[in-house]
Formats: sequence, C-alpha cells, structure tokens
Amino acid sequence: MKRGLLLAGLLTLFLSAPALAHFQMLYTPQSALEHGGEMSLKLVFTHPFDGDHIMDMDPVQEFYVVHQRGEEGEPQKIDLKEYLSEITWNGLDDAEGKAFEANLPARVVRSMGDYVFVLVPTPYYEKADEGYIQQFTKMIVNVGGMPGNWNEPLGLPAEIVPMNKPYANWTGGVFTGVVMSNGEPVPNIEVEVEYLNVDVDMAANAFVGEPKIEAPHPAFETMSVMANDKGEFTIGLPKAGWWGIAVPDVVELEHDGKELVQEAVLWIQVTDIP
Amino acid sequence: MLRRGLILFVLAAFLSVPGLVAAHTPLFACFDNADGTIYCEGGFSDGSTAAGIPIIVTDGAGEVIKTLELSRNSDIEFDKPEGEFSVLFDGGEGHDILIPGSQIFE
Repeated sequence: MKRGLLLAGLLTLFLSAPALAHFQMLYTPQSALEHGGEMSLKLVFTHPFDGDHIMDMDPVQEFYVVHQRGEEGEPQKIDLKEYLSEITWNGLDDAEGKAFEANLPARVVRSMGDYVFVLVPTPYYEKADEGYIQQFTKMIVNVGGMPGNWNEPLGLPAEIVPMNKPYANWTGGVFTGVVMSNGEPVPNIEVEVEYLNVDVDMAANAFVGEPKIEAPHPAFETMSVMANDKGEFTIGLPKAGWWGIAVPDVVELEHDGKELVQEAVLWIQVTDIP
Repeated sequence: MLRRGLILFVLAAFLSVPGLVAAHTPLFACFDNADGTIYCEGGFSDGSTAAGIPIIVTDGAGEVIKTLELSRNSDIEFDKPEGEFSVLFDGGEGHDILIPGSQIFE
C-alpha cells in the first residue's frame, strides 16, 4: 500500500513536470538589426526545448512596443494590435495550435534605438492545474546600435528587467536580470530557463528539423536558478540562439473562479563570436 | 609651486576632453520620407546625445548645399535636394559619417 502511494506520488511529479515549461514566445529571427524596416513576429505558446507542444492562444489582450532612441530620448509607446493576425503554428511530431503573427510596416521599426516589444496574452486555462496562466512577455530589438530603454522597467504585474543588453550577448557570456512586479523587485523567486532547441521556419509558421540538443536528463530541459534577495539572477549562455527566461507565479489572482498565475517571460538572443 | 601648477594643468586638460577617452561610436541614419523631405537622426553607441552636431548636405560635385545641425532630439528634417547629394554627420575627427543620397531609402 505504502509502495503504491509512493509510486503514485512519483508519477504525479513526473507527469506534472512538463506543465512547468510553458513559454509564451515572441519571436523574430534577429534582435540586433543594422537597419530598421519591415518586421515579422510570431506569437506562439509552446515548450521551446521540445517544440512539440503548441497551446492554443486566444486573442491577445495587449501587444505594443516602447521605442526609445538614446538615453535622453523620449520613450514612445506604439499599439501593435492592428497588425496581428491568427495563424496555425506547426510544432514537431504533428503538434499544432492557434498562434498569431504580426507583420509590421517599415515605419514602426525605422528609427535607431531600442524597441521593447510587450505581449500580454489572454489567460490560458491549464487543465492539469485547473487554473489560468498569463505570461507577460518581452523581447527587445535594437536598430543601428544606439541603446535606449532596454533596461527600463515598464511596471508590468510580472516582468524581467535586463541588466545586460538582451540583443548583444556572446556565446559563453552571462546574462543578469531582475524579477519585478509592478516596478518592485521580487526577492528569492525561482527563475526557469529554456533554450529554443528547434529551428523556426517563418514562412511555414513551423518548428522544423530535429532538436539541436538531446538533454541527458529532464533537469537540463528547463533549468532553474533562484533570484537573490534583490530579485537579481544570473545565467550562463553556453550556446548561440534564443533563450527563454520565465518566472512562474509572480502574482496569484483569481479569474473565472479559478486561480490565475501571472508570470514574466523575457527572450534574449546569443551570438557566436566569429 | 611650478609642479603643482603643471599637475593642475594636466588634470584640467584631461577632464576637459572626456570625448577623447569615452568608448563611443558615432551613429547616423537618414530616411526618405517620400514627401520631398529627408529625415536624419544621430547619436552615439553609449546612448549619449548628438544634439547640436553639424549636418552638412553637399551636391554631387561636393559643393555645400546647406549646413544644419541636429536638434535637441538629435534629429533633423530638410527638403530633399534635386539630383545627387550626400549628408555628412560632422562629429569631429574620427566621428564623421557620410551617407550618399543613393543609400537613403524610405
């Protein structure tokens, strides 16, 4: 009887592990751009290490960019919802789900400086947890090398504020950020890190090819690090590509009579030294 | 006395030319607004302002058409010249950037 309980407990732990690895993606192929111009972004709710789970997204609540050119530039917020259209995203192993794309005209990302893209999705109902997840997601693009507001908090309910330029990281470097909620640091909270382990075909709206890395153990798929008492955390960057950083359960609320956890996601891009 | 004066002079000279030791790169971009005007913006890789930097517009023969300067927002808009032209960000020695009109897109 005792052994049965133990097995059931272990099985529950094992089965619940994948639910921790939900990452709201906000993807574009290149975050450090020499020149501005037309830009396409994909909004996909997935497991980036596996690429074989695509969760259906509902119409997004908010999608905007905050642009700033230079330290003394005035930050400018541009609503981007008008550029969104629904797509079907194809994952590996025949997975598919409802996602969105945004095709931005050249005038939106024309000027030099930083562009902090922000996505606030509609809360996603996770059956396994009988509750909702809402991931406030940021991805930062730079045009022309002129910095701007890459490290400015936006006052989101759940937010990761970078302490390194998220678009200028060499392979082998480290990345440091601060977990914040409504502009205040969140101390001693767990941070999850996942590598986008699949290639993206922008035209086909799909993850393609084989996974780049085979993890030797599930703990290497979604890695964990604890933020310190100031909400700061540091991670290593061992491989070029996109890395997703997520902070689960920053805020706990109620939505439609169920628990709603508000989480923070930040995407950073890592580049090999030529 | 002479030595103290020399030290003060060297210190003052060092402090008065921070640009020489700052690790920044000039940045400059121009766009054709497609309405007969050109928009240019400048700055530095450390995020510092380029307000007041001279902008020199020359024709195909290198003759100066107009001399302008970047605004408080480190940008400027001017009428697009007829024919060939170039726009120079005149940030001083080692900080000049020349953009030919043929490389200015919408």
